[in-house]
Amino acid sequence: MKKSHRLGALALAATATLTLASCGFGGGSGDDASGKTTLDLLVPSYSDNTQGLWEDVIDGFEKANPDIDVKLEVQSWDNLESVIATKIQGGEAPDIYNGGPFAGFAADDLLYPAEDVVSSETYSDFQDSFIKNAEVDGTAYALPLIASARALFVNNTLLQQAGVTTPPKTWDELLDAATKVSALGGGVAGYGMPLGSEEAQAEAAVWLWGGGGTFGDATEITVDDPANLPGADQIKKMIDAGATQADPGSTNRSPLMDIFIQGKIGMQVGLPPTVGQIEENNPELDYSIVPIPTADGSPFTLGVMDQLMAFKNDDDKKDAITKFFDYYYSADVYVPWVQTEGFLPVTKSGADALSGEESLKPFLDVLPDAQFYPSTNPKWSATDAAFKALFGQIQSKPAQDVLTEIQAQVDAG
Amino acid sequence: MSSTTETSSNPAGAATGRPRSGGAEGGSARGKPGGRDLVSALPWIAPALLLILGVVLFPAGVMFYNSTRDISQSGVDKGSVGFDNYVEVFNFPYFWPIFVRTIVWVVVVVGFTVVLSLVIAQILNKAFPGRRIVRLVVIIPWAASVVMTTMVVYYGLEPYFGIINKFLVDVGLIDTPEGYGWTRNPATAFVWSIVIAIFVSLPFTTYTILAGLATVPSDTLEAAKMDGAGPARTYFTIVLPQLRGALSVAVLINIINVFNSLPILKVMTGSIPGYDADTIMTMIFKYIQNQHKVDVASALSVVAFLIVIVIVAVYVKVVKPTQEV
Repeated sequence: MKKSHRLGALALAATATLTLASCGFGGGSGDDASGKTTLDLLVPSYSDNTQGLWEDVIDGFEKANPDIDVKLEVQSWDNLESVIATKIQGGEAPDIYNGGPFAGFAADDLLYPAEDVVSSETYSDFQDSFIKNAEVDGTAYALPLIASARALFVNNTLLQQAGVTTPPKTWDELLDAATKVSALGGGVAGYGMPLGSEEAQAEAAVWLWGGGGTFGDATEITVDDPANLPGADQIKKMIDAGATQADPGSTNRSPLMDIFIQGKIGMQVGLPPTVGQIEENNPELDYSIVPIPTADGSPFTLGVMDQLMAFKNDDDKKDAITKFFDYYYSADVYVPWVQTEGFLPVTKSGADALSGEESLKPFLDVLPDAQFYPSTNPKWSATDAAFKALFGQIQSKPAQDVLTEIQAQVDAG
Repeated sequence: MSSTTETSSNPAGAATGRPRSGGAEGGSARGKPGGRDLVSALPWIAPALLLILGVVLFPAGVMFYNSTRDISQSGVDKGSVGFDNYVEVFNFPYFWPIFVRTIVWVVVVVGFTVVLSLVIAQILNKAFPGRRIVRLVVIIPWAASVVMTTMVVYYGLEPYFGIINKFLVDVGLIDTPEGYGWTRNPATAFVWSIVIAIFVSLPFTTYTILAGLATVPSDTLEAAKMDGAGPARTYFTIVLPQLRGALSVAVLINIINVFNSLPILKVMTGSIPGYDADTIMTMIFKYIQNQHKVDVASALSVVAFLIVIVIVAVYVKVVKPTQEV
């Protein structure tokens, strides 16, 4: 600025722009002067609706709380994790963040415990199984946001033709029903079993966990565990009895679901969006959705969930964050949000409100019994990869060998 | 033959010292070439040298460097581990089956490609109505994306709705009504991959041989005819030896191409669990994509690089493609 006036003017303009820009980043200090608290919200985009849905939530919240300003930032899933990492490094962590893995943040003491940032009413409204999945060492550090669960899709027509009157609840019934349906011939398969690389870990979980097994927990991955053998053996039994489609070990899930939708598979495990797919491609299909059969018929489903978490930036923001969460999780706000995005609610009140939905009801029913991948374990991604690459070999190799091989690859890192 | 000079510029050719002696013969300065010539040549070849350095030697160097490091899943370099990554590569229980499969893959694909190309080139060399169109049609597999071609076959082979499966069921060759899972079993998926690899390698090979055929002087053929040689004798003793240059180029380039080919096997065998249909290339891919082991993948890449060099060196030594007929 000392050098010349023209340069001075330029610099002035630049400074002005920078100041404006820094407002955009919402450091908060400027807003405090005007007596307002600013909350930064960083969320990923689930669909084209996401931004609009959040904007509606924020508008409603700001109307009810004029002293709080909420700044929304929407990122794509691909960028999300690098954006949050950069922000944390730069000391610009958002106040509220919607994402997947959070164990690392909790370990670095960056997050508020969930109980500190919601009222006790809101906290007790979460389904217990979801809160449990958000716990690190017994404390929940994230709030469940949305969920998806799995259930068994049953082709009623095929089961009737095969003389099966009620959908199976246990493995024995499933094996029996699937064998009968397969016996119909004409390229019809009793049970659609996708163990191909696309999502082998999901079908594996359905069977291994359904027999009382587990992949491990936050500290240890235990694939090679005697508890997993019954499930693995049952898979082999199904394959050997000819109750599945041909070559289950290398069949991917999505293409196989298409075959189910075409009406050539008796039963297959599906997700909430499968309902919409059937409606779009083969509305005539006569099907029902029932809980996934397990060894002893006890209810179970494989759940996946995303979370909201609150970063410790400034202690006087805690009240504002609590207000925001309480507002967001109230059934009037939360239910339309979840419904438009096509997922399942994680609150009990949300489940009640949506229980009238025919297509979601079977999933909501099994939701309280949801079990989750040990995704808080740092080795989970290696485990996931090992299942995708190796689990399908169960078609031709002894079950124990396959589990041992997966465990070995996980341990090797 | 212009194609011969092309071959001699490859590294293996350079190792035999052939191109250098050739260059000295052609050069005018016989007495003291050395320093001065090199300096005056440098500005002219510098851009090419820089390019080779930047896009060939530097990445190869980085690859070798990475292969001796311990790189974490998220890509953090955790220091040197010497040759541990190589130990892991060779201790992998499926390494030798994968190695053998890679050799089978290269030999079968290149072998069939060359034989079929010789036949097709012979046909295309004859004058017949519509030859121009047929010649164009032959290029199509070359012009189309390899992944696209493979996907077409892949979907054709799908059970339930694949057109190839449907055809085989309808003519009664398969008795399960939904068809057979060709791409679901390692052996059949591998065989179909070979078929596709031959299909996409044919155009280049055919055209190289066709170019070779165009250089066979018609007087030698006439002479053979006058001497009473039959078509078979003419082909094997007159035409084929004169195709040596074209053939050796075609084979060499095909070996390198086929060895390094990933997309076909990736698409065709991607959903098969385990490592029963993998070649070295798909294994490298699995190390990177599934297991995020960039360090081990680099080690295997170095091994693959050495294997290609050895194959090419042996080929050059045995066939001597740079030697004139």
